Amino acid sequence: MKKTDGSHDNMTDHLSELHLQLQDWLSGYADGELDAQQTLIFEAHLAGCDACRTEIERQQSLSRRLQQVAVNRMPGALHQRLDTMLDEAQHSPAQNAMPRPWLRRLAWARQPAAIGGFIGVTGWALAALLMAVLLLPGTVTSMTPGSIPMMSDVLQEYQNLSRTNLVQQETPPSKTELPARLAGCKLVARWKTRVGGEPAEAFALQRGNHLIIEYRITENVFYRNPNVRQAITDYGDYRIREQQLEVLALPLKGAGLLIVGPAGAMPHRREFIL
Amino acid sequence: MDHARQKQQFQSLTRPWRDRLFSVARRQTRSQEIAEDWTQETLLRAWRDFGQLTDTMAVYAWLLRILNHVVADDSRREARRHRLAPMLMIADDDFLQDHPCAAPGPFEQIMQSRSDEQVIAAIQALPDNFRQVVMLRDIEGLSYQEVGQALSLPGGTVMSRLSRGRRLLAGLLIKTAAAQALATNATGNKEPGHEKN
Repeated sequence: MKKTDGSHDNMTDHLSELHLQLQDWLSGYADGELDAQQTLIFEAHLAGCDACRTEIERQQSLSRRLQQVAVNRMPGALHQRLDTMLDEAQHSPAQNAMPRPWLRRLAWARQPAAIGGFIGVTGWALAALLMAVLLLPGTVTSMTPGSIPMMSDVLQEYQNLSRTNLVQQETPPSKTELPARLAGCKLVARWKTRVGGEPAEAFALQRGNHLIIEYRITENVFYRNPNVRQAITDYGDYRIREQQLEVLALPLKGAGLLIVGPAGAMPHRREFIL
Repeated sequence: MDHARQKQQFQSLTRPWRDRLFSVARRQTRSQEIAEDWTQETLLRAWRDFGQLTDTMAVYAWLLRILNHVVADDSRREARRHRLAPMLMIADDDFLQDHPCAAPGPFEQIMQSRSDEQVIAAIQALPDNFRQVVMLRDIEGLSYQEVGQALSLPGGTVMSRLSRGRRLLAGLLIKTAAAQALATNATGNKEPGHEKN
C-alpha cells in the first residue's frame, strides 16, 4: 500500500493486505452495491483510511461526470438503412428451443404457519383483509405458472405483505394519481419497489374486503416475455393465476401495469380506467 | 406467431435502444462508418436470435452483449485493426503506483473542466477490459448485473474492473489536465516576450 501520512506507519501487515483487497470494492461501495456484511467491513476500514475515503470521493465524482456525457445520436440515414435491412431480412428468428426458466414457486404462501405469523406481526386491519384473500376457498387452479419474473415478483411481494407492515409504507397523498383508476377503491399505501430487476411503483387499494395492488413497471420489463408480448398484441392484456391470486397485465403509455388481487375478486379489465 | 408480428415486436423492443447502441459503438472506434456497421450487424444478429431473448435479461443488456461479440469479431480482422481507436497498453499495477488513490488535486474541478471529447478520449485509452465496464456502467447507466450479462462476467469481476478502471481513468484525466496546464503556462510565459517585440 502507498503510505500517505504518518498514521499509516503502524499499520499492520494484515491491515495493509485488507486495504489492498478492498481496492476492488471501491466502486461497489461508491455505488451502494455492497451487501450489508461487505459494507460493514468496508466502513470499518474506511474510518481509518484517508486514502480510501479520497478514492471513494473520486469514484463518485468521476461517475457523476461520466453520466453527463452526451449520447451520440444515430444519423437519420442509418435509421432508414436499419429499417430497410430488417424489412428485407427473409428468415424468421429461430424459435427458442431452450425451455423457459421456471422460477421459484411461491412455496411459502402455501404454508399456513407463514400466514399465521402474519397475524401476530401486524394486527392491522389490512391483515384481516389479506387473510381473507389468502384463505379464500380453493376454487381456482393455476392457469399459468408464475414462470415470468415480473409476475413472480409482484405475486411474491403481495404474499410477502404478511411479513411486512403496510402501515410502514409511504402514506399516499390524497390526490395521488393511480396508474389505473378503479371505482369503489381506496388507496391505502404506496411505495417504491423493484419488479423484473427494474424500479417500479406500487399502489395498494382497498376494495371492500379485498386488497388489490397496482404496479407501474418499466416498459422494458413489461414487454420482455414473448408470451406477454403476443398476448398484448392479440388481446390487449395478459393474465395469470397462481394459487388464489390473479395478475392482470395491461399496457400503459411508455410503461406497463400489473394488477394483483384475489382471483375470485379481480375486477374486469374494463373496470380499470387507464 | 407470424413473421410480420415478430418483426413488429422486435422493432418496438429494439428501436428505443438504437441511439444508445450506436453511441456505445461510436465510443469504441474513431470511425463513424465502423460504428454504423457494428450497429447494423448487431441488430441483424439480434433479429436472427430474437427467440433467444430470455425473460431474465434486459433488452439493452442483450443488445450490448451482441454488440460486444460483433466488436470482438471485427477486431480480430487484420484489415480493420489499424482503423480502430488506438489503445494505450497500460500496465495496470504500474499505472496505479504512478497514480496512487490519494494523489492530491482538486479532482472535482478537473472532472468538470474536461470536455466530453477529452473524457471519451481518455476512456478509449483504457485497456479493453476496463473500458467496457466503465462505459457500460457509468455512461450507459447499466446495473452491475446488466453489465455482467452484457459482458458475460460475474458480479465480483464487474466490481473489481470498475474499481480499477475508474482509478485508471482518473489517473489519465489528471495526467492530461496536468499536461494541458503545463502547456498553457508555457504559452503564457512566452506571450509577454512577444508583446515586447
